[in-house]
Amino acid sequence: MSEDTTTNFTPPRWRAWVILGLFAVFGISLVVRAVDLQIYDEAFLTHQGDMRHIRTLEVPANRGAIVDRNGRPLALSAPTESVWAVPGAVLGAPDKIAALAKSLGMDPAALEKRLAQYKSRQFLYLKRQLSPFDAHQVMALETPGVFLQREYKRYYPAGEAIAQLVGLTNIDDQGQSGIELARNGYLEGEPGERKVIKDGRGRAVDDLDEYKMPKPGQDLKLTIDSRLQYLAYRNIKQAVIDHKAKDGVVVMLDPRSGELLAMASYPSFNPNDRSSIEPAGMRMRAATDVMEPGSTAKPIVLSGALNSGLYDTSSIIHTRGWFQVGRLTVKDELNYGDEDFAKILKKSSNVGAARVGLSMGPRGVWQDFRNFGFGETTGSGFPGERFGVLKDFFTWDKVETATASYGYGFAVTPLQLARAYGAIASEGKLRSLRLILGKGADMHPPAQQAISPGTAKTMRGLLEGVVAPDGTASRAAIAGYSVAGKTGTARKISSDGYHMDQHRALFVGMAPAKNPRVVTLVVVDAPTRGSYYGGTVAAPVFSKIMASAMRILHVPPDNPKMLTAAAYHPNRGG
Amino acid sequence: MKRLLSARLPSVAPDIWLLGTLVLIATLGLVMVGSSSVAVADKLAGDSLYFFYRQAVYGVVGLVAGFIVLHVPMQAWQRHTFTMLGLGLALLVIVLVPGIGHSVNGAQRWIDLGPVALQASEPARLCLILYIAGYATRRQTELAASWAGLLRPIVFLVVACFLMLLEPDFGASAVLLAVAGIILFLAGARLFNLVVLAGLGGASVAALVMSSPYRMQRLISFSDPWAHPFASGFQLTQSLIAIGRGHVFGVGLGNSVQKLSYLPETHTDFLFAIYAEEFGLIGSLVLIALFSIVVWRGFVIAGRAIEQGQLFGGFLAYGLSAWVVLQGFVNMAVNMGLLPTKGLTLPLMSYGGSSLVMMCALCALLIRVNLESTAAQREVAR
Repeated sequence: MSEDTTTNFTPPRWRAWVILGLFAVFGISLVVRAVDLQIYDEAFLTHQGDMRHIRTLEVPANRGAIVDRNGRPLALSAPTESVWAVPGAVLGAPDKIAALAKSLGMDPAALEKRLAQYKSRQFLYLKRQLSPFDAHQVMALETPGVFLQREYKRYYPAGEAIAQLVGLTNIDDQGQSGIELARNGYLEGEPGERKVIKDGRGRAVDDLDEYKMPKPGQDLKLTIDSRLQYLAYRNIKQAVIDHKAKDGVVVMLDPRSGELLAMASYPSFNPNDRSSIEPAGMRMRAATDVMEPGSTAKPIVLSGALNSGLYDTSSIIHTRGWFQVGRLTVKDELNYGDEDFAKILKKSSNVGAARVGLSMGPRGVWQDFRNFGFGETTGSGFPGERFGVLKDFFTWDKVETATASYGYGFAVTPLQLARAYGAIASEGKLRSLRLILGKGADMHPPAQQAISPGTAKTMRGLLEGVVAPDGTASRAAIAGYSVAGKTGTARKISSDGYHMDQHRALFVGMAPAKNPRVVTLVVVDAPTRGSYYGGTVAAPVFSKIMASAMRILHVPPDNPKMLTAAAYHPNRGG
Repeated sequence: MKRLLSARLPSVAPDIWLLGTLVLIATLGLVMVGSSSVAVADKLAGDSLYFFYRQAVYGVVGLVAGFIVLHVPMQAWQRHTFTMLGLGLALLVIVLVPGIGHSVNGAQRWIDLGPVALQASEPARLCLILYIAGYATRRQTELAASWAGLLRPIVFLVVACFLMLLEPDFGASAVLLAVAGIILFLAGARLFNLVVLAGLGGASVAALVMSSPYRMQRLISFSDPWAHPFASGFQLTQSLIAIGRGHVFGVGLGNSVQKLSYLPETHTDFLFAIYAEEFGLIGSLVLIALFSIVVWRGFVIAGRAIEQGQLFGGFLAYGLSAWVVLQGFVNMAVNMGLLPTKGLTLPLMSYGGSSLVMMCALCALLIRVNLESTAAQREVAR
């Protein structure tokens, strides 16, 4: 048929078998290799694959809220979206970078530079904590290699009024200061985990079955009453501004339980705008600043004296305006003559207090201070709370005993001072101060009897006299309520000794005096405009705060006489 | 052309094993092109089935080409083997002409034809194999007797290989030489002479590898890919991971992770790795078996043609079936790290229009040989 059939040649058959044999060898080696890879090396290769494919993504847990005693929010976490990128992937789409930068509010050149700098990385935050709306605007650009990550942002609805107390979290949702720091472990949740398979460009393409639910943090309830907190902050801010003072502190507590109702200090900061924060505003001065209490220490000394049984309210101290103790001359404003305890307090007589203190001796005064909780923390648990400064009595000589009796030579925190007055306000019981209510609260030691209930009652009666029209703190009075309290005008100390022209104006008091519901301490540091006395600077602040506080707390008026009088003269001085 | 097409097909049944296997491989190929290219198609074209659709169109073109080739009698090819030689060499020269040849990734392998590009070495190699089969048929006696009879076609082959290496396309020239060698061996060339030539060829390959840093690099990284898994060993380790992940039964069609921007060239040179990941060891063994069937049936067909005195068809069938299986096995060996990386596709499966259409034509030639020899057999039996 064909032309070539004429040769009729048949090549040797074995040659074809040789070739087929070679192919068989090749095929068998492929089979062996496939078995090797897909059976014996499978574990290794799958592991190598998993190392490249599987990523554990953290599922953030919601941080617990901080609320006041009535459940009003003080710190809340809201979901936000953070934008991150695989820099190499973004650089692969250069035409999108300008639009991306615009949507992020960044400079395109700067963004490109940053992407190029971290080109080898697989993860780079572009912008953190955007609102979900803004984040979805960014994602609408569909830039390759740009992703979102859920994060929570902390909001502080009460703002600057309680900023130092509540504190701050950092961008990783960890407490940095204040309650946020002190109770971080309680507030923070346990992040969950999600295992995903990623594709080569970093996108999660599939969820693995391993999923650990995030455990949200627990809500924390403070003893603070945010209504009183606002009230205290507003008034101390106004006072500091009015008197051109350096700073101011208000502490309010419930003497029956030791619960802190308000802790305000000015200057403060806006916790929702971190760019404005200055260090001076960050300090929770009520816990972290120490001060010489000045005349506000006198009721503490006199309480101890009454409690010791050496004195009673009819005891008379002879004074003549001054007396000499060693190198020290103790002086009063005027010569008050013979004084009983009521008069010592009403006129704030240094001489009277010093004589009583000297009669008790260094150990007596020191022990008295210790009984009232000076030199120890108040139990508030606030981070950075100070112990104050109280030297051991065996180092005290007569001069130091005398000055200690009217509030110099040792230092207390505002919390310690308020707590001591809390004992006078509640049957002589010195209680640990509390900041946390309910679950999450610390265990507190039982209240210590600083003085007897009888002494405490007597002292409240004496302190009512201070607020009487002829006392140093007549301007602390409030309409309708009996008030007991004590002023203090302490000279400020510096490394050069006591300033002649820098003072600290204090008032610490309670209302209603018969059965105190609230103890309030007001400190105005270094007032420079107008007066600087505790009775004229701090007492009016106390009065304004307490008048409103009594109404807010629905405390029934106990002083109808004063109610009528004050109704017509609400800002009456004395 | 018209005259050729009017020729009737011999009215006998084709080899059902061969035809069935080829159809199976091609179908599997189209499915795998679709599956393996989803990520790269999405990235490059924004449509994850972009390469699937294109490959399907190439498949239709390939069927048409195959249909035409099927109607061309072997005699016609045999008469025009010199034309084929000229055409093949011309293609290889044209692709190197600047302005006509089109370069991708530094290799000038494509001739731009408007909407599509033709990979010159694919039809050129088919032309050269036709020439070799024709030569072996014509000069069988000389081939078996003398150096001169062997060297004459070798000269043309060396020229063709040299042109392909200029592109450069190392894999294509290696396959061409091997297939030509197989044909010449089966046609009766002296074994001693072939061994000498193979030795010379091996030495020149070694010299080539040494002279070119990128080939040397491939060779070194191939021997220990895990030494630099994120640099020189990247592609191979990713391929091995894909194959290993397949385990016995595979992760299932469409479920490969390695195709998601981890392993490059998933739809072309490394299609097998993704196939092995999705279908597992079972799939690997099936594919090796399928290619083995092709060479087995191809050789049976060739042997029968030679029995019937159709030497040209027989030699051609030897060469073509060897070609398919050789390129398939080499591709798998590369994917599995048994051979260094070369730019070789998996025949009938990998994405690529030139390769697919050429392979369809090749298969049609095989079937034509099958039909003619079967018809001749029946004639004799009658």
